[in-house]
Amino acid sequence: MKHSVLIPGLAGLFLYSSLQAAPMTFNTALAVGEGEYVLRQQFIGLQSGHDPSGLKRDRRETTALTALGYGLNNQWALFATLPYRKIDLDLGEASISRHSSGLGDMSFFVRYTAYQDDAPGKTLRIAPFAGLKTPTGSHREKDRYGLLPPSVQSGSGSWDPFGGVVMTYQTLQFQFDGQASYRFNTAADGFEAGDIARLDASLQYRLFPRKLSRGTPGFLYGVLEMNLVHQAKNRYRGHADPDSGGTRLFLTPGLQYVTRRWIIEGAIQLPLVQDLNGKALENDYILRGGFRFNF
Amino acid sequence: MKNFFKALIALFLLGSLQAHAAGTQYDIQVNGLACPFCAYNIEKKFKKIEGVQKVDVELEAGKVIVDMAEGAKLTEPQLIKLFKDAGFTFKGVTEKPL
Repeated sequence: MKHSVLIPGLAGLFLYSSLQAAPMTFNTALAVGEGEYVLRQQFIGLQSGHDPSGLKRDRRETTALTALGYGLNNQWALFATLPYRKIDLDLGEASISRHSSGLGDMSFFVRYTAYQDDAPGKTLRIAPFAGLKTPTGSHREKDRYGLLPPSVQSGSGSWDPFGGVVMTYQTLQFQFDGQASYRFNTAADGFEAGDIARLDASLQYRLFPRKLSRGTPGFLYGVLEMNLVHQAKNRYRGHADPDSGGTRLFLTPGLQYVTRRWIIEGAIQLPLVQDLNGKALENDYILRGGFRFNF
Repeated sequence: MKNFFKALIALFLLGSLQAHAAGTQYDIQVNGLACPFCAYNIEKKFKKIEGVQKVDVELEAGKVIVDMAEGAKLTEPQLIKLFKDAGFTFKGVTEKPL
């Protein structure tokens, strides 16, 4: 089987995590207090079944993504994310099914609050971040057909640096976040997933309570996010794969309930545009649900 | 005799109230506070301070109201640092006896 048709690098795209009252599909610039921890658990279901190749490929991935944030001081915060992935790939034309499950690649990143402008009931923050995805997940799993293709492996085997900048404008009524990021995917065992560039935007609007009362009530936000994702072609032993990479635009409506100590949320990422190279497999949808806990 | 005991009880209750009311309430203005989840960072910081009896965050007013026990005090430099560490900006404080 060619590595090409399975867009392996994209799997990692959806494993971003943020830890404050914030977007569901990417990061935020809001603070983690000095010496404080924030935990996030997210469950992601990714379905890709629209196959222009005629092989009737159907790929399903379920991920439990755990993220922990720690405030080093008022400007620096450290984050770690660890996915547990279960991947199934059916090749309908050949009646073959391939599976794997296990811990994926752990990522670490630091975020620095470079700009902060606070006013009564609002704040504007800009924070660059940089990190590294480490090859903690297995990338040499085999089944009875031999070595699994990269898109069915839990890990990539590569050390992939990434970085970007995120901005947040938050008021009592709404919050806007925007992010630009880039991930340099490196090679492992001759395979190199294409680099990934992303532009993300998120609007969270308070639906309830309509009017604020005294104290600290819970907020129900309506969320609308957009993700523009471009991935370069994968390379195998130095050769670019013509059936890999491309550009996707997702629209993500969702709901988020935010209290003092926890957040519960759910959203669906719908592909509006998929301009993919060759016969790359298209996404159908991505479901996201989860909670965050401030302890 | 009955009246004497009533007066004694009244005196005791009054004394108790005065003892309870001997603390201080701080009304603190903070900038940058705009969501419930963020507010909890501030509560956690205050609860680590000895003498803090109660912390209320008034989100809409951008205020944190802290009740301190008798003899315990909050200073302005302490508040500036606390809010900075929590990720916010201290604006001002007024205090009154409880």
